[in-house]
Amino acid sequence: MLGGVIVLVFATLSAQLFRLQVLNQGYYRLQAEGNRLRLEAIKPARGLIYDRNGRLLAANVASPYVVVVPAELPKGREGEIYAALQTLLHVPAFEIEHEVAAARRRNDLYTPIVVRREVGLDTARILRERLAGLPGVDVRYEAVRWYPTGPLTSHLIGYVGRIEPDELNVLRERGIQSDERRRYQLDDTIGKAGVELTYEGYLRGLPGRRQVEVDAAGRALRVLAEEPARNGATLVLTIDSELQQIVQDILQESVRDLASKKAVAIVMDVRTGELLADVSLPTYDNNIFSGELDEAQYEALLRTPDKPLLDHAIAERFAPGSTFKIVTGLAALQEGVATPDTTITSTGALLVPRDYDPTLFDSFPDWRAGLGKLNFYRGLAMSSDIYFYCLAGGRCPELQQGLNNDRLARYAREFGFGQRTGIDLPGETEGLVGDAEWLRKVTGGAQPWYLGDTYFMGIGQGYIGATPLQVVRMTAAVANGGLLLRPKVVREIRGADGTVIVPPKTDVLRRVSVSEENLAVMREAMRQAVTNGTAAQAQVAGVQVAGKTGTAEFGRRLGDGSIYGRYQEHGWFTGFAPFDNPEIAVVVFHEQGGGALTAAPTAARIIKAYFDLKQRRAATAPGSSR
Amino acid sequence: MHYHGERGRHHLDPLLLLVSVALTCYGLALIYSGSLPRFGSPAAVVRGPIAKQVLFLVVGLGVAVVLARLDYRGWRAVAPLAYAGGVILLAVVLLVGTSEYGSRRWITLGGFQFQPSEPSKLATILVLARLFADAGGRTLPPRTFALSLVLAAVPAALVFKEPDLGTAVVFLAVWLGMAFMAGARLRHLVLLGGLVVAALPFGMLVAVHGYQKDRLAAFVNPNYDPLGAGYNANQAAISVGSGGWLGKGWTKGPQTQLEFLRTQTTDYIFSVLGEELGFVGAMVLFALFLVLLLRGLHAAAVAPDDFGRLLATGIVVMVLTQVFINVGVNIRLFPVTGIPLPFISQGGSSLLSVFAAVGLLQSVLARRRLPGAGQPTSRLEWAS
Repeated sequence: MLGGVIVLVFATLSAQLFRLQVLNQGYYRLQAEGNRLRLEAIKPARGLIYDRNGRLLAANVASPYVVVVPAELPKGREGEIYAALQTLLHVPAFEIEHEVAAARRRNDLYTPIVVRREVGLDTARILRERLAGLPGVDVRYEAVRWYPTGPLTSHLIGYVGRIEPDELNVLRERGIQSDERRRYQLDDTIGKAGVELTYEGYLRGLPGRRQVEVDAAGRALRVLAEEPARNGATLVLTIDSELQQIVQDILQESVRDLASKKAVAIVMDVRTGELLADVSLPTYDNNIFSGELDEAQYEALLRTPDKPLLDHAIAERFAPGSTFKIVTGLAALQEGVATPDTTITSTGALLVPRDYDPTLFDSFPDWRAGLGKLNFYRGLAMSSDIYFYCLAGGRCPELQQGLNNDRLARYAREFGFGQRTGIDLPGETEGLVGDAEWLRKVTGGAQPWYLGDTYFMGIGQGYIGATPLQVVRMTAAVANGGLLLRPKVVREIRGADGTVIVPPKTDVLRRVSVSEENLAVMREAMRQAVTNGTAAQAQVAGVQVAGKTGTAEFGRRLGDGSIYGRYQEHGWFTGFAPFDNPEIAVVVFHEQGGGALTAAPTAARIIKAYFDLKQRRAATAPGSSR
Repeated sequence: MHYHGERGRHHLDPLLLLVSVALTCYGLALIYSGSLPRFGSPAAVVRGPIAKQVLFLVVGLGVAVVLARLDYRGWRAVAPLAYAGGVILLAVVLLVGTSEYGSRRWITLGGFQFQPSEPSKLATILVLARLFADAGGRTLPPRTFALSLVLAAVPAALVFKEPDLGTAVVFLAVWLGMAFMAGARLRHLVLLGGLVVAALPFGMLVAVHGYQKDRLAAFVNPNYDPLGAGYNANQAAISVGSGGWLGKGWTKGPQTQLEFLRTQTTDYIFSVLGEELGFVGAMVLFALFLVLLLRGLHAAAVAPDDFGRLLATGIVVMVLTQVFINVGVNIRLFPVTGIPLPFISQGGSSLLSVFAAVGLLQSVLARRRLPGAGQPTSRLEWAS
């Protein structure tokens, strides 16, 4: 009997052993490997960013952070150590204790626990001197981003931050997370704004990996295999940071007496689409996003009314006002609605009889009374609203057949309005080009498109909205003979070893369907606006400037003379120089201002600064083409 | 009755002795491998745990030889005293014992740790053997049956309180085996079994510790708290399972050498064997145990009296139960409970007491009946 029990016991044990060791051997072998081997990521150094002249705009610096290693904490003295850390780093002792206890429960004794990041060099130095008395505590260094030019280039460069769950989801959708080599870990940093975001794939580099044999406590014993990281690529911006600084100073000064401090100035190379300067005010210091984010500072930025975090050059649409007359004028010329000789008399107000009762008239005023008899050049140079009402909508004594809504909208789109420019910066808005169909859709058919809507659109008001970047790009297309370019802020990408990965290249989106002859008429008209018109304030000694002002009403003056909306008028200037051989297009936008009063003189200073700088550089560095 | 001649009285059974020493040496090899990660160098292991265990082996052999020479029937008189001493020690350990892994099992005396439950098992076997032998006859009187149950239950309860569920089970298994051999009525055993099963859920509520519930949950679901309650069971299964047919080689098992296993020279020493020596290594171990146990059964079969027969039976059941529980825990057959693997696990109390048991078996064998002399007085005849 007992013999039988003995046999049964050993048969049972042997059967179970057979099941584990022979039948399920593969499964358990895999589990054992998973225990023993740990794959560690080696972080690559993030790529650097330079301006077009080789000035450093984004670098990596070592930032100290403090860790505790549970295995090295002395038994019995832990409380004392936590208390010391609390005093030095202002991290509650109980929090550290809690983390250490959690790690012990996981039996994860050798993974350092971060007590505090970005402790600052002074604190790090004090702590390092005391490390001998604080076993288990260590000061380590990690690379964080440093932007030497801070607020000057923050809208262009953006910033990086720790990856967040929703960003991980996006990466997962793009398949990056399923690539074992490229996948992001939870404590990785990722570009969040500006070119840091657009060029994340270049800047990040390729993480290396290290296969390490570990023991049960997670202590690394030896490296079995290692693949080094490949550092990120270097970006060379199109921006000339010296010019950028001058433009920012000029713009800053120009808004000093204005109620709104929101303003934009862009200098674009009309031949390449490269932005040489791109300033959006107000700005912010992107260094606050490096390392540990100061919540209070961030909150303050979010609360500032003029939205410093937003790049107003691309992220917000405004009524383009009279700068849009360039489009209306070109469309009319190209469509044969008008010729350079088309003459319209501005009497101060255009009276249009109503369709259903011709005895009643609607009145459309000009911006100024007594402009008188105007041909195409004078119409644009003096920025006559009535002249462009007629081109856009017709129904004038001297011009019955206008472009009407559909043709005007088509040319607006032809010049890149109502669509993203495709600039290599995130957060661009597409603006708005309204037409009858669009209006029907957004109002559910409740509101028809009136003649007045066409008139207003003809002068850049109403159902038309544009970003300053769209306006300057349109101007560049006029200046360069009709090439609609993709604006860019990154000129070139170089590998970590200096080899060029992506060379400078001009992206032509299309040649606008306006003849060179008509473009030349428009350039001449814009030249006259500066020499003898509304944009006279944009004159620069020694440089032939052509341009167009704009004063867009967007608030409404109510019956009692008060203004509905924040400000009554935007101020615009867009233009190019030199007139006979255009190099740059410049746009200046003031949220509150006047085209002729504020924007044109600001643009003049910017254009002058550009050519002064060019001359100075040619003098000091012969042979330099920049 | 006719006894074996005086000449054979001091004769040792060579097979039993050989297999005991072989098992211990097997254990030494595993203790060596399992100690490497903690002691670092081979020299340190040899000077440390190996030297200590060899010392226990030598002392154990001495104890076995002395006990083999003494007439086991002398223990009949001392049994109640030994039993009482064992129970007192178990009570003492609950009061002043040393804790390890959340359980009070050791008494520390002059730098030595000593586990009273080990000699206490032998004392209980002795006292039960005497009680059943005194009752005589083919069937067990109900009063003797009840008394024997109480005698086994007291140390089992004390040990359970430590808590050491595995050893408590050993006490009860020993009682069950001996009571059955002594002629307990099947009816009583079945009745008792039914009662135990019925009381189990209530017992779980009252007596079972929180950690034991966790271990039970971890046993049912291996992924239950894999870093806590389920950790050891998981790691043991991984170690054994990854060993395959031949194992990863002695001292070459990463689970052992990188210390994913814990208590790998004591409760989980079988996992070291499974990982490094594989299925074949385990079969060798089982074969050694089989020889030992069959030798024990033989001793019971040839014992000259009921006391000797029951003594041998108790020892066989004790060793068998410990092997079953220890290996079963290592290979996910049972929920986790810490119990040494006889001869193999590191530790003096266990080794000394198991060699004492071997000495007692030797003593019984040395005084065996001559073949064909006398008639069996119980079921043992058809049992062996």
